[in-house]
Amino acid sequence: MHVPFCSIVPPYLLRRLARQDAPEYSAAARAAREALGHVGSFQASRTQAMPDVPSGLRHAKPGPSNRIIYDAEGSETLPGRLVRKEGEPGTGDAATDEAYEGLGHTHRLYADVFGRNSIDGQGLRLDATVHFGKLYDNAFWDGTQMVFGDGDGEVFGRFTASLSVIGHELAHGVTQHSAALAYRNQAGALNESMSDVFGALVEQYVKNQSAAEASWLIGEGLFTPEVEGSALRSMKAPGTAYDDDVLGKDPQPDSMDSYVRTSADNGGVHINSGIPNRAFYLVAESLGGNAWDSPGRIWYETLTGGSLPTTATFSVFARATAAAAVELFGSGSQEHDAVRQAWETVKVKL
Amino acid sequence: MKISVERTGGIAAMTRVWTVDARSKTAINQWEPIVEACPWDAVPRTPRAAAEHFAGSQPDRFIYSIRAGDRRAALPERAVTGPWRVLVDRTRAAAQESGAGQGTPALDSRE
Repeated sequence: MHVPFCSIVPPYLLRRLARQDAPEYSAAARAAREALGHVGSFQASRTQAMPDVPSGLRHAKPGPSNRIIYDAEGSETLPGRLVRKEGEPGTGDAATDEAYEGLGHTHRLYADVFGRNSIDGQGLRLDATVHFGKLYDNAFWDGTQMVFGDGDGEVFGRFTASLSVIGHELAHGVTQHSAALAYRNQAGALNESMSDVFGALVEQYVKNQSAAEASWLIGEGLFTPEVEGSALRSMKAPGTAYDDDVLGKDPQPDSMDSYVRTSADNGGVHINSGIPNRAFYLVAESLGGNAWDSPGRIWYETLTGGSLPTTATFSVFARATAAAAVELFGSGSQEHDAVRQAWETVKVKL
Repeated sequence: MKISVERTGGIAAMTRVWTVDARSKTAINQWEPIVEACPWDAVPRTPRAAAEHFAGSQPDRFIYSIRAGDRRAALPERAVTGPWRVLVDRTRAAAQESGAGQGTPALDSRE
């Protein structure tokens, strides 16, 4: 009776549905528990990419976005002056309007593709501050909100100019509210990689780009024309994003052969993230189509499934993605094979 | 007295180093009070110790490693306040004025 239900709802959503004990979810939870018994046959019969999950069957229906943009007006005091809130028209200030739109695009990816209700899964309001500091060449997540500088004008322009950067910062919030990966060494590099992966997916989803069409660049358009470089990082070819007389060369490794040991940057979290970044790209390249579909779901389930330790190493994470691929698509599926092959290519042991 | 400020981290992960070499008596007299105002003994000396000392990392924020003569300090961006902020800002401004600000790789080793 529940086989059709089983055939369109991924197991991780079934598990979550099955755990619901609120009265309004009792029927869905019961159905999910029964459907889980059929997952094996579902996986065995799967040969094509997974269809979208109907919103009515998700464990919690995502609500509309609720965005607030503040202006620090060159100070470093947060959050700053409120300049635009949900539903209000554009202000004409590029940073304000880019941040507002970028938050909306990011919220839409999580809601439409992963059935997630904002970054905490419970409809958290999305706050961002623009024009932070003077000549401030950075963007960051402070644990509760995003913060964007205008750049120094010599190396960097404003950080809201890149949608992948906005998606990157919000993904730090998703990680904080799910796997809570420690921000140091390999766990920290995985934390950074999660932000690059979902930042890239936000950009690809908005542009409706397939894995083959996408640039796989993080922070494209942030550099001023004086810099010899296209972006901060390349997920497709780590280590090739820039090569500049002043900035030096992109230091990201593309496999464990060139893993960087360093005490800087919290143990190289933005450097060694190149390795899992490339693994995700390789899975997307191998499977073709849209990266937010099967590859995105495997990574999302790995991040939010509840089994990833906060101090996960690359190998632990790789095994978790393989397990998620098996759970979603079955052992020996093309998705499972693509995941195994990707980690093998970047020389992370499963 | 040589003063250096190394900034690592940030979403771009580009290391910047600003240095000042205060050699003349005038320069030393100018920099000494700024250096002495910082509570060197109350903060970690290395980035690794700073990560343990300051709980709750904020993703993508900068980390500062500061040296003045034999003294060392490592601070996350949010702790660079008061006299530390004065020292960092003055060093950066003086280095940029003299052309000593630069981006350098900060990799200890590759394996």
